[in-house]
Amino acid sequence: MQQANMLQRLFGAGGGPLERTPNKAVLFGLRFTNLAVLLILLVFFALSAPGFLSLVSFSNILDSTSVFLLLALGETFVIFAGGIDLSVGSMLSLGGVASASYMSERFAAGDDGVLTTVVGILIACAVGLLGGVLNGVVIAYMKLDPLIVTLGTLGIFLGIADLISNGLPVGDLPPAAFTLGNGQFLHVPYVAIIALGFAAVLSFVARKTRFGRYCYAIGASQESVRRAGVNLNRHTIMLYGISGALAGLAGMLNAAHFSSASSSAGANALLVAIAAVVIGGTPISGGEGKIWGTVIGALIYTLLDNGFVLMGIASFWQLVVVGALIILAVYLDEYQRRLRLTVGISRDTEGVAPALAADGAAGQDSTGAKASA
Amino acid sequence: MQSKTAPSQPAGNSGAAPTELRLEGVSKSYGGVRALQEINTTFRSGLTGIIGDNGAGKSTMMKILSGVTRPDTGTITLGEKALHLTSPVDARLSGIESLYQDLALADTLDITSNIFLGREMTRSFAGLRVLQDRAMAKAARETLSQVNIRIPDVAVPVRALSGGQRQAVALARAVRFNAPVVLLDEPTAALGPRETAAVNDIIGRLVDSGRMVIIVTHDIPAIVGMADHLIVMRAGRIVREVDPRQTNQEELLAYMVGSRT
Repeated sequence: MQQANMLQRLFGAGGGPLERTPNKAVLFGLRFTNLAVLLILLVFFALSAPGFLSLVSFSNILDSTSVFLLLALGETFVIFAGGIDLSVGSMLSLGGVASASYMSERFAAGDDGVLTTVVGILIACAVGLLGGVLNGVVIAYMKLDPLIVTLGTLGIFLGIADLISNGLPVGDLPPAAFTLGNGQFLHVPYVAIIALGFAAVLSFVARKTRFGRYCYAIGASQESVRRAGVNLNRHTIMLYGISGALAGLAGMLNAAHFSSASSSAGANALLVAIAAVVIGGTPISGGEGKIWGTVIGALIYTLLDNGFVLMGIASFWQLVVVGALIILAVYLDEYQRRLRLTVGISRDTEGVAPALAADGAAGQDSTGAKASA
Repeated sequence: MQSKTAPSQPAGNSGAAPTELRLEGVSKSYGGVRALQEINTTFRSGLTGIIGDNGAGKSTMMKILSGVTRPDTGTITLGEKALHLTSPVDARLSGIESLYQDLALADTLDITSNIFLGREMTRSFAGLRVLQDRAMAKAARETLSQVNIRIPDVAVPVRALSGGQRQAVALARAVRFNAPVVLLDEPTAALGPRETAAVNDIIGRLVDSGRMVIIVTHDIPAIVGMADHLIVMRAGRIVREVDPRQTNQEELLAYMVGSRT
């Protein structure tokens, strides 16, 4: 009864919540579910995990988040457009191995300059871009399901990474690479600055540019975009190219952080990247979502990771909790979407439907006279 | 920062009604199926209804005029200009706006984004086309007001709208971009009576503003009451062109099913 009263207060009197206009405050709150979860976790671990509230701990969290955040950012754009890129984890491995192989060779030849590291970054991005463009071209021109295409290239990229490295870790990277992967500015790791910088730029691109708008539109209705005259093939290739390039860069930064690259570096990365996107509130069906949601999703994942370690809880539990969180996030997202739809219809019906009805009545009038809007 | 506003209307398209849209010898086959056979007709300003049974070739004719499908043979001329429609963009740039039965709207995008989809107002910044959202929202409100549709918030996602409202948004595109030729594929097929009347009223406004409106429909009573000119199709051919005031539903049905030729 008490629960029923509460529901009535939240959603209005009688019936199920989706049959009437929900309280807008509830709706507003639901939009920030992932941020609320992040804050709750922060408070929880601050109270229960010794050493959690420290600069070192926060620096570690940012450090651990950054590499797979880069993966997740590219994946977010692909998912906005209703696609999926399963190859990002192996592209991380390939980008890391390709870049590390070059840097290691140059370093062994006595070249320990910054230029070697810069070229290493460019190689990783170029390899990622090339792989991503390959994904995009196959998806766009062969009209194949991105799930299957990127599943195939997942294997291809991993195999190439093994071929380059002979299945062995590639180490001995120049000091500049180590500094890039482990240096900090005011306790903020360089890699975090890079990842957050990309998040800011991509958030702008998603919300404020024509490219971003088309990503959402393609996710909502590919046909509408095609009929609107947008070059879908070019857009698809660009999307997967961006995803690949970011994965390649993530691979290089990962190698720089650990001073080593291997084909197994991206083993868990795909799950983590997709988890960050979904926990961040982007529906896997596409057409909606926010880049900053993915940043929050990635932070939630890392918080769990670090918090569990600090609390001495077995790491297996982390997988269980992350899996449950993904399902919960999808449920909450779907729930708030349905609520928003109800509010949209309700608000709209107040204005538009009567207007249409009035127009209709007038339309039947042979005079065609109209009341001004 | 370089600032440039993209044109919001098709180049060279003032919205003035062209004298006529002419099809000569237009044919289209899909494998062994002859969807259109030697179509010769001329559309003029006002409302033309195209009726016919399933498989009559109505939709193929719409697809050809909207640039979705290329004809195997024949020519299309708008006014004095020969058209080579190889894509929906070609059709749009030529001043032909199409509204499809499934509306072709992006559900998760708001009303403004849908009206401007593919023709966004942008300015150039660091190599990116940055959207001018405020200007587009203002223009969208003005356009909706032009067709007398009161929508309190153009930021509402299209999926929250009813069928009639969605159709109004789709029609608003044609108004916004001043298309002189508007093709409508079953515009009221999924609507209730009130919304049908409302949408028909908007169509009436398009016709009154001097546009050439072509409607493909199964709703014979409605189109007979609205159209200035009717085309009856059967088996890929035009079997009758008639002034709706000089015919009746029985005669039209007879031409449609082939009991009269």
